[in-house]
Formats: sequence, C-alpha cells, structure tokens
Amino acid sequence: MVSVRLEKVTKKFGKVVAVNNVDLEIEEGEFMALLGPSGSGKSTLLYLIAGIYKPTSGKIFFDDHDVTNLPPRERNVGLVFQNYALYPHMKVYDNIAFPLKIKKVPKEEIRRKVFEVAKLLRIEHLLDRYPGQLSGGQQQRVAIARALVKEPQVLLLDEPLSNLDALLRVSVRSELKRLQKNLGITAIYVTHDQAEAMALADRIAIINEGVIQQVDLPEVVYNRPKNMFVGGFIGNPPMNFVEAGVEYNETVKLIVGEDSVWLPQEYIEILRKLKLQKVVLGFRPEDVLVLKDESQVEPGSSVIRGEIFTVEPMGREVLLTIMIGETMVKVYAPPTQYYSMGDKVFLQINPAKLRLFDPDTTIALEYLVKT
Amino acid sequence: MKRNVFSTNKVQLLIFLLPAFLIVLLFYIIPIIITVYVSFTPMRNWNIDKYFNVIVGLQNYNRLFSLITRDPVARQVVVNTIVFVAITLVINVLGGLGLALANFFIDERVSTGFRTLWLLPRMTPIAVYGLLWYYFFHGSNIGMLNSIAMSLGLIKKPIAWGQEVIPWGPWSIIIIVNGFVGVSFGMVIFYSALKSIPRELIIAARVDGASNWKLTTNILIPLLRWHLLFVTTWQLLSLLTTYAHTFLLVEWGVVSRTYGQTWALYVFNTAFGRGEQDQGLAAAAAVILVIFGAILGWITVRALGFNKMITKPKGDI
Ligand SMILES: Nc1ncnc2c1ncn2[C@@H]1O[C@H](COP(=O)(O)OP(=O)(O)OP(=O)(O)O)[C@@H](O)[C@H]1O
Ligand SMILES: [Mg+2]
Repeated sequence: MVSVRLEKVTKKFGKVVAVNNVDLEIEEGEFMALLGPSGSGKSTLLYLIAGIYKPTSGKIFFDDHDVTNLPPRERNVGLVFQNYALYPHMKVYDNIAFPLKIKKVPKEEIRRKVFEVAKLLRIEHLLDRYPGQLSGGQQQRVAIARALVKEPQVLLLDEPLSNLDALLRVSVRSELKRLQKNLGITAIYVTHDQAEAMALADRIAIINEGVIQQVDLPEVVYNRPKNMFVGGFIGNPPMNFVEAGVEYNETVKLIVGEDSVWLPQEYIEILRKLKLQKVVLGFRPEDVLVLKDESQVEPGSSVIRGEIFTVEPMGREVLLTIMIGETMVKVYAPPTQYYSMGDKVFLQINPAKLRLFDPDTTIALEYLVKT
Repeated sequence: MKRNVFSTNKVQLLIFLLPAFLIVLLFYIIPIIITVYVSFTPMRNWNIDKYFNVIVGLQNYNRLFSLITRDPVARQVVVNTIVFVAITLVINVLGGLGLALANFFIDERVSTGFRTLWLLPRMTPIAVYGLLWYYFFHGSNIGMLNSIAMSLGLIKKPIAWGQEVIPWGPWSIIIIVNGFVGVSFGMVIFYSALKSIPRELIIAARVDGASNWKLTTNILIPLLRWHLLFVTTWQLLSLLTTYAHTFLLVEWGVVSRTYGQTWALYVFNTAFGRGEQDQGLAAAAAVILVIFGAILGWITVRALGFNKMITKPKGDI
C-alpha cells in the first residue's frame, strides 16, 4: 500500500482544462471520496493517477516514488468502472485472471488467487459464466474482483455503484468499505452521490471545473463548507443561501429584509475584522425551527419572516419551500404541525449552525480570515 | 384479440420485406433462372432467335468438363483462380486488419489522411486505376517498375513482368492490383468496429497491464471475430466473381491471357470476348462458379461458427 500525492497537476484536452493545478494527498490505507458534478474532472483525475493520461504539467507520486511518466502497467493500480468494462468474450474466471496472465504469473498461482478473490466477493459460483449472463450487481463484483486480484497498491473506483438499484447500492457500499478496510488498500472513490461519499469516505475531496474546492473529513465538509459551491453541492437538499446586510453597532448583526439576525461571537469578531457590508447567510434545511406564530419565538433569539411556497411530506419530516423576500429556501419541519401554502412563518436559525460567506469570492468568512 | 395483433404483424412484416424481395427477384433470382436456362441451350453469338428454344441437356457442362480436363488453357484458368482467390483473400483480410489496427493506434488526425489514402484505389474509376498499374508494370522502359529497377542497376533491359515472368509475374500483378482495392474494405469495416469498442474496455486492459500487442491479441481481435468472418466471406465471394480490373490488364497486354485469366473473366470472355461468343458454355461456367461460391461460402460460415453468432433480431416487432 502506498500514499498518493498529486503536485500541481493540470490536464488539458486542447482548450478544455479538465484538471486544474490540483494538489492532493491520499494517505496510505485511506478511503478518499472524490465528489463533484458531471464534467468536473473526476474521471480525468483518476485516469491521471492510473497513468492512462499524462499530466500536461505537475507530478504524481506513489509514496516518494515519482510515477508521472510511468505507463499504467508499471503502476499496479486497480480500476473499477461505472459500466464495469468486463471483457465480454471472456468467462468470469478469465476476466479476473487477465491481469495475472498478462504478468505471466504461473497457472497454479493464478488459479489460487482467482478463487481466493472470488470467495472474498462471493462469486465462486459465477466463474464459468460470461459477463452477459450476470446481473448488474454480479458484474460489479466481478469488476471489483478483477481490480483486486493483482493486489494493487491503489484502488481507483469510478462511480462503481451508480448502475445498481438503491437497495443493492447500499449493501454493496458497506461491503466495499469493509473490504477496503480489511485489505488496508489506499482507495479513491469517484462519485457524484454525496450521500455515498459521506457514508464511505475517510475524507472527501470536492472538485468543480477541475479545481479542488475542499478536502476534509465528511462532517467538516458538511458543517463547515469552505465556499458556497461546497455548501450548495453537499446535502440533500443543499445549503440555503440568503443575502444579508451587516449592521455594526455595539454588537454586529445581520439584516434580512426587516428582520435582524444575531450572530455567534466567532462571526462577530470575524466581521469586525473584515468590515463587510454584505454577506451571504447559509444554513442547512435541518438547522431551522419553523414557527407559525410570533408568540412561539423565544425571547432573545432572532427569526426571519417568510411565506410557505410548497409543502412536500417526506414521511419522517415535511420539506417546506419558503420565500424570504425574493429568495427561495428549503427547510425540514416535523410532520406534527400542519402547514399550507401561503402561511406566514418565522424561521429561527440555529445560531451555532449558520454559516457566512463573502458574496464576492463565495468563500466562507472563517476561511477568509485564516488565509 | 391475440390473433388480430398477430395478423397485423404479418402484414407489417410483408410490407417491410416486399421492396427487398422485389429487388432480389429482379436482379438476382430472374438472372439466375435465365443463366441456368441458357446453360442448357447451344446459345452462341447472341443469336437468340435461332438458339433460345433449343435444349441440349448437359452438353455445355460436358464440354466444360472436357475442356478443363484436356485443354491446358482452361485448366490454367482453374489454377489461376485458386491461386488468385486464396492469396488475395489472405492479403485483403490480414492487410485490412493490419491497416485498421495501425490506424487505431496512431493519432486520429494522422489516421484520417492515412485511411483516405488507402481508399483511393476504391474511389478511383476502374479504368483510371488500371491505367496507373498499366504504366507501372508496362513491359517497355516506360514502365515505372522497369525504369526504377534499371536505374538501380537490378536489370539490364526492360522486362514484361506480366508476360515473361511466368506464372508468378502475371499472378503477382493481378493479386497486387486487386489486393490494393480489397484491403480498404476490410480496413473500413475493422476500423469502425475497433472504434465502437467501449473506451473503458481498452483502458481496463491497459490498467491490467496489457501492451499494444497483448491488447490486440487478447481483446481487440477476439472482439472483431464477427467482422473477421463477415469480411472473409464477403471478400471470398467477391474475389471469385470479380474480373473488371483483370479484364483491363489482360486486354491491355500487361498480363498474359493464359496466366491472368480467372474463372470469372473466363466466363466473361467466353460470352462477350473476341472471336466466337459461346453464351451456352459461359452460362454453364457461371452456374458452376455460383455453386462453388455457395459451397465455399457455406464452409467458411460453418468453419468460423457464424450460426453461433446469429442472435434473435433485437428490433423485433
Ligand atoms: N479524452 C478527452 N478529450 C477531450 N476532452 C475530454 C476528454 N476527457 C474528458 N474531457 C473533458 O474534460 C472535462 C472533465 O471530464 P471528466 O470525464 O473527467 O468529468 P467527470 O467529472 O468524470 O464527469 P462525469 O461525472 O460526467 O463522469 C469535461 O469537460 C470533458 O468534456
Ligand atoms: Mg466520469
């Protein structure tokens, strides 16, 4: 097992910059999720690590070994694709054995290893079939087996579960995590499903338009997004953003429409330093209390007035879309209350959970003062 | 209800099949029937009034058989055909495969030009293309091959390659000329098949450690199986029946008539050539050629396991 380090890696396809000046380190045995929207450069980044593409500039290291110019076959990585990419003319056994055959491993050893990995993935009974005779989930296991059989230093997975149905996805997902931890493999897992990333990964790297936005623990990415993109990408529904003015007096508070929002001490200090006149207030749908009556508002807490636009019952909770002035936000409310369209409501945001962003750079204020 | 649906399906099926059926009938079945019929008449010099209604039984077939067994020229036709078809077929299939693979591994921008170059022989009118080779193999010192060989000092005086260097001179010429036309067919089919292989499959093989050679032998060629079979069968049948290029080369004297004449050309010459035209004999020869073609085609399909590849129609109604 190795650590993987990318140093200022850029990959251009003609004019398209698919990966832009990426610095990224994946530790030995770590499970890193690479999360980003379609076309953000996730696959390109994986292929760069696998050696399919050469970076336009920058360097890639496995441990301290510079692999930038090594072809794929000298890197010993395993790669699993979204569409499995099994060789259709080979039986499952030969598919799994293929990387070993290429390496001219003795026949007996190939046999032993194929059976071993097939057992690990519970596909022993499928070895004699062609890929076309397998279900999606079975094909996926074969693809993972083929990637694991050569005992790769790094396992790269490119949206491996997105062709499976929701139930199967959850079970294969936990299986995958168990496998990765048991084998202690360094793994990079590409997905655009943020729930999957949160569930699987030790750390999450978020990429947009070829640029890494944030690399952090799942809860940090979720609770302290570095910028509005990350906040707006992670979470379902994502973080809400409302523009607010800032009023500096004996204390510092936000002005949203006619309402004032009190800030925690941390943000008061930051704002005094930065002296911004406008900020973007961000909060998650679940960090809000929806009150129907002003009398319910606890004294000393701040609320923002809004009007219910739509009501979507989700079972465990109700998803409300609320207009604050011209801005639409989504919040969760307990299903015990009855809500209907047009109701005037008061939103009480948990002050510990609210986030502030600089409207010009979209960067979270706490990260602005750090740098 | 069910039966109703079924019968509309049948009507639809007929409507779909009708145009193809008419074309086959008009251009294939009717000519075959006429040819077979003519092979039983003593038709000569296109004297339809005199001979069309005369039936002579297997006389033409007997004549053909005794010609092949006794006449050295006719026997040579058989040898020429076997050598020509066998070698050109191998060149066309393997050459086409080689070119397609070369195209696949080189840069797209370069390969487009490269492929167009190889398509030229097919795009050029037969007479023009034939003329190029006429000047190339010409027996005097205006022949390009002669002037090159002479300026390199390989030969002292010009050689009529297609007339003097027997039999491999004329054979080589007809094989080369037809081969250049034929490879582009395989190349186009194989190249487009290679292009349609999912990119991930190639990437997977690379990550699994495959070199270009291993990728070719273990992944690409097995995935081209169907196309290989198709091109082989198709080329076999078209080589058996092709004669246009060879006809010109023989007429222009680049290639010896005895060693350049294949069966298909023999049929043509017998029916339409100089001197007495013997359509009855030609028709008999044509019928034999079709029967041979059908048998050989069937054998190839069998040998390469085509029936295993036939799947149920995917767009069925
Ligand atoms: N071989 C290529 N040639 C040209 N452009 C490419 C190539 N591969 C990727 N790109 C471009 O680079 C950008 C990043 O593509 P990439 O496939 O890495 O995205 P992705 O994040 O994997 O997207 P998805 O989630 O849809 O798979 C896209 O704009 C894409 O069009
Ligand atoms: Mg991708």
